[in-house]
Amino acid sequence: MAWWHALGLVVHYLMSTHAHNDSCGHSHAHDHPSDHHAHLRHLLEHASHYLPAQGPIGVFIHHNTLHAFQHLPFEQAVVEASQTFKTEPYLSEEAYQKERRRGRILDADIDDTLNREEDVEIIPGKLTRRQLRRVLLIPGVRRVNGRNIAWQIEEGELLTAFRPDLDATAARALASDSPAALWKVCTTRLQSEPPPPPKKPQRPRDAVLAVKDIDLDGIVNPPLIRLLGAYLDQGIAYWPMPLRELGLLKASRKIMAQSLSVYRAHLSRIGEELRAQAASDMSAEDTVTAMLKRLGVPEAEWEKFIIAELLGLPGWAGLLRCLEVDPTLAPHDRVSFSLMEFLALRLTYTVVALEDIMGDAKSWREITPRAKPHDPLTHQARLFDAAQLLGLSSTTLKELPISQFEKLCAELEKCHEVERRRLLHQAYERRHERQILIPLAKHRAMPRLETGTDRLAAQVIFCIDEREESLRRALEEVDPAIETYGAAGFFGCAIDYAGIDDAHGVSLCPVVVKPGHEVRETPKQDESHVDVKRQTLRRAWAKIMRNSSISTRTLVRGSLSTAFLGFFSLFPLALRVLRPLAYARLMKRLNDIFLPEPRTELTFMRDDDESRNATSGLMQGFSVQEMADRVASVLGPVGMHSAHASLVIVLGHGSTSLNNPFVSAYCCGACGGRSGAPNARVFALMANNPAVRERLRQKGILIPEDTWFVGGYHDTCNDNIDLYDLDLMPEDHLADLANVRESLNKARARSAHERTRRFELAGEGLSIEQGLHHVQERSEHLGEPRPEYGHCTNAVAIVGRRETTRGLFLDRRAFLISYDATKDLENKALAAVLGAVIPVCGGISLEYYFSTVDNEGYGCGTKLPHNITGLVGVMNGYQGDIRTGLPLQTVEIHEPVRILFVVETTPDRVLKTIHSSPLLTEFLENRWIRLAAMDPDTSAIQIYRGNGKWEPLEGDEEPLPVAASSIAYYSGKIEHLPVARIDPKLNRAA
Amino acid sequence: MTPETLLITVVAIPGALFLLLGLIWLIGGHLPEKTIARLTKIAYVVMTLMVVVLGWKMWQKGATSIHVNLGNWFTVAEYGFPLSFVVDHLSLPFVGITVILAGIVGSFSVRYLHRDPGFQRFFLLLHLFSFGALVIFTADSLDLLVGGWEIVGITSVLLIGFFQYRSEPVRNALRVFGTYRIADLNILIAVFLAHHWFGTASWSGMFTGEWPGHINNLNGSAATVIAVLLVFAASGKSAQGPFCGWLARAMEGPTPSSAVFYGAISVHAGAYLLLRVEPLIRSSAIATGLVIFIGITTAILSTLIHRTCADAKTSLAYASQTQLGIIFVEIGFGWTTLAIIHIVGHAMVRTMQFLRSPSMLHDYHRVHAAAGGHFEPTGDHYESLLPKSVQIMLYRIALGRGFYDALVDRFLIAPVVAFARLLSLAEPGWVKVSTSASSHPAEMPGALTQMITKSEPKA
Repeated sequence: MAWWHALGLVVHYLMSTHAHNDSCGHSHAHDHPSDHHAHLRHLLEHASHYLPAQGPIGVFIHHNTLHAFQHLPFEQAVVEASQTFKTEPYLSEEAYQKERRRGRILDADIDDTLNREEDVEIIPGKLTRRQLRRVLLIPGVRRVNGRNIAWQIEEGELLTAFRPDLDATAARALASDSPAALWKVCTTRLQSEPPPPPKKPQRPRDAVLAVKDIDLDGIVNPPLIRLLGAYLDQGIAYWPMPLRELGLLKASRKIMAQSLSVYRAHLSRIGEELRAQAASDMSAEDTVTAMLKRLGVPEAEWEKFIIAELLGLPGWAGLLRCLEVDPTLAPHDRVSFSLMEFLALRLTYTVVALEDIMGDAKSWREITPRAKPHDPLTHQARLFDAAQLLGLSSTTLKELPISQFEKLCAELEKCHEVERRRLLHQAYERRHERQILIPLAKHRAMPRLETGTDRLAAQVIFCIDEREESLRRALEEVDPAIETYGAAGFFGCAIDYAGIDDAHGVSLCPVVVKPGHEVRETPKQDESHVDVKRQTLRRAWAKIMRNSSISTRTLVRGSLSTAFLGFFSLFPLALRVLRPLAYARLMKRLNDIFLPEPRTELTFMRDDDESRNATSGLMQGFSVQEMADRVASVLGPVGMHSAHASLVIVLGHGSTSLNNPFVSAYCCGACGGRSGAPNARVFALMANNPAVRERLRQKGILIPEDTWFVGGYHDTCNDNIDLYDLDLMPEDHLADLANVRESLNKARARSAHERTRRFELAGEGLSIEQGLHHVQERSEHLGEPRPEYGHCTNAVAIVGRRETTRGLFLDRRAFLISYDATKDLENKALAAVLGAVIPVCGGISLEYYFSTVDNEGYGCGTKLPHNITGLVGVMNGYQGDIRTGLPLQTVEIHEPVRILFVVETTPDRVLKTIHSSPLLTEFLENRWIRLAAMDPDTSAIQIYRGNGKWEPLEGDEEPLPVAASSIAYYSGKIEHLPVARIDPKLNRAA
Repeated sequence: MTPETLLITVVAIPGALFLLLGLIWLIGGHLPEKTIARLTKIAYVVMTLMVVVLGWKMWQKGATSIHVNLGNWFTVAEYGFPLSFVVDHLSLPFVGITVILAGIVGSFSVRYLHRDPGFQRFFLLLHLFSFGALVIFTADSLDLLVGGWEIVGITSVLLIGFFQYRSEPVRNALRVFGTYRIADLNILIAVFLAHHWFGTASWSGMFTGEWPGHINNLNGSAATVIAVLLVFAASGKSAQGPFCGWLARAMEGPTPSSAVFYGAISVHAGAYLLLRVEPLIRSSAIATGLVIFIGITTAILSTLIHRTCADAKTSLAYASQTQLGIIFVEIGFGWTTLAIIHIVGHAMVRTMQFLRSPSMLHDYHRVHAAAGGHFEPTGDHYESLLPKSVQIMLYRIALGRGFYDALVDRFLIAPVVAFARLLSLAEPGWVKVSTSASSHPAEMPGALTQMITKSEPKA
């Protein structure tokens, strides 16, 4: 079946990006130039894994930021990556300590974390590693900085008093001691650490910075950014770069080396160099080789050197690399993309600048770059601090045998800052795990919340997206006879789709899948004249808009239009900024009047077996069997095998906002960062087809004759819900439909209201209508950097039946994937579901994790100075690197935890399923995700601890609050809320 | 309220807001965002209403101008620094766009900068800027105008460097600051010379009659010198001629400040100065020629550069620079009314475009889809008329941003730095001489020398 096949593709693709990690590190003697080239290309291929894998920003796909390190265990990977990228592996120690002080991390979590790791004795009978580490975490070390110790001693209180936050035993032990005496022992007994040995410079920049105080990147990057910006531009520049057809390297040689050019300082010889390269027609590979030799880099170090140089401008290089791998990502202009050419250009610039500054290109390798300032007192201060925490008085410390003293110092060094952050992070995640699992178990043990009806009023299938959780809960609260389901938001239909207003088809499916089937929206026959009129008017409107935006910027047209028409911008400007929603409604009304939409239908049926579009190679629509396969691929795993409600609503989702280059990150990831509305629509049409239902019956899915499917769209930003093809619906469903629409309408307002609790600007005490109004205004505001919070709250993925979570307030933090283990005895559906959701949800969670722990390094910093360049990315200011990852405004309320999967099946079954896929095994066994299993029969929860070990959930310290309604529970609160049970009966009883 | 009170109140409100926020900040206080937002909104609504009433009253009375004299700030011998304000047919449109656009941008910024740690700082600077701009547009003398001029300059620099924790914005802010300093030197010298040679720098002293149609009182080559200095000063503010390289660098700040400074108000202040002293410039063929020359060359160079800019904000910066060049030309030819209309229209369009620049992807793709997925190719109007080799040469010039930075770095900054280093090498000797003469301990200057030479390369 195509759906399984698609998953195979996903896995294959994801694997292929890692396959190279194991097979590198050998270099041969190359006699033939093409061998050289192949070798170099191979090196570059490896090096490019370290670049951010973010393509043009119009399609933003969440993925593991550390994809190059995914073959390593998480804890090792974050540290290695932090050294390669000069980033942070975890939140800061202060941040975790703050969480500890506010009770988000408990002492029990820290104890549990320490107890899981090896213990050794440090001072026999008195001190073990665990005890030492415990005091270093509770109450935590005092920050000592080599550079301010002298000040701390002379001006601060380091030597006048012991720490005020010592526990009673430690304080007692130190009662008769003085800080000065202890400090003296620390300084006399502890040998000063010699400064770390000098390192070799990684690349010329380090050396030049050390001896000349000149930042080579500051010289090399700006011209490269301008060249790349112009070369990759997809339509901002009025005059596109000439000679682009020659490729980046040749075009740059020709353009940059123009005879009248004035070059910036230290680059005056670049023209000469480029001309020489052009004259001998050097290929990119030859240029790179020549430059590496001129730089004196031995062949064994080429790869390392190339990685370091590429990371000097990672965003642009990564973008180029993504486009090289898949040129179809370029939204408009597909020129030739080659990372090798960029590297050749970069190395040429580096060599020229280096020769100008240093006189030659090789001597940089002999220079010692600046090391971090080293202060020998730091060690003593750490010991001094730890001695206080441990209650080791000056006499005890003085008399400690040398072996024990050294062991103490060694252990102290071993529990360095990153190590403490690692431990604190473990504890942080442990508390999260318990805050989810314990209430979940309690909820399961309590009586089920009944739907109170024999036949459901409606079943609504949503995307698994955690942002739909509040809407699903609200819908079930509004009408208990509605049940909701979660399935990946492309609903098994990988399609190439163009609506009536779209010029080209786009892929609506996970990015790693290439759709094989084409679906087109066309106006209904009797309305084609409406469409013709609409498209004519849209063309005219586009012409006006395009011309006005160009003509305000050029010389002659610009003078006329700004002088004589410019004033009229004031009205839209004022309205859009001061009353955005009114402006949007006005525009909508004008659109309805002048651009009426025709009623449309989808062309998605194919009668014969093999008719393909001659140019695209796409199948035109689906055959009956293909349709049945797709419907079954959703209804099967979800557990909707029979006894469907009379209405089944399928809702795709997307997001609409302004001031948001990242809008694709807020749309449906399963639809390639686009809206999933067409997928939902086509799914419903397929499921209504009698021939398809017939085939489904053979697969064991029995859809009653009086069941009708309706496709729809939910906008997660403004919370609008649209339903499609209602004119096809049999009349006897209309009454049901009216009821369901009423419920949907109420539910989306409630869900919108729930979202506003997170927005400071919304204010407190909003009514439900005001809440809806607020989120709608956000989506239309030109200056709103947080139109919605996106996946900011993601933390959990629950794979199981809705009855396990129904009535639970999960605070929009859980992906909810419907899966019924009792109907999947062969684990086939489980393999399909996990194969999709682990990489997708894991990718989202990890992208948020890294963008949160180091927003400048892994994320793209604050949105406020972002500047869109070439329609492909954002940079800071007027010539900076392309920023990748998520902006500060998107992650600011995120709790960086690895996603916790709770799968409702037995431990054996889930583990067997995961282990049969290498990719999923890598995710799980390298601990990039967390996993728990919930037995579908007994509801017992087991937590996975790696290497095949499971551990039952014990303890019940986390409560399960019960409230009569969601609004009663969250009202007035802005922070993350614990899981709660929403039981409407409470209200009735009261 | 009398028109005089209205005028003073409009100018004073943003100044008072700045003082209020500044004082609270100074004593370590922190106003909640909501309060700042409310204060800002109320202030600009009130100011806008007042300007409307002011205009209406003037029209009703048929007054061509309203003067307010608050006396002198200080007097030294015959010189007094006049605190006198004027609003006339030239000031009124400028005051109008200032209060309206600063108000709209302020409202935009409440959303845009929400939760940014620099929220209070941004609004502090925005109010200070409005105050400075209003002083420029209502000053009745060159002396007072310089005050507003400097306030606008410094707030502009501080907002370019708004994201202080990154080095690029700060570096670019410093560069713009340097450019402003050199440009502002011209206006300061012009004020001194005006007082020195003509004993006055107030509009009423320099000109007779009301704007427009006022008559120049200054004559001779001395007047030409002053006129030329003022043209250069105006060029600095409006990123023209010798100062045409800084506008793109100013894009480091948050979007709304880019809008209000480089789209709307600050860059037009140079044009305002030229309009105000237009008869003086007209009286000198050299100055007139200079204005037209600067305008035309900047416009042509900027439009060339603009054509190749591939990012949203730089593209807008050079587009603004192009129009400002045209505005200079209009002023040079004496088409003052046209120039004012052009300025007002340009300010509105550009503000809108700057505020929409983060939404560019959305806007572009919407129009692109509506156009049927295909735009007519651009950039082949004049370009295609030229031979291919000239095209590439022009493209190279545009991509090098007219080589402005390269030229300034290599032939202006580098020699100055080299000279300064030379001086710093000689300094220890001088220090010895001066310390032995004054018997001061030598440590301080020594440490200072060390600090200065620290950044020097150790060859």
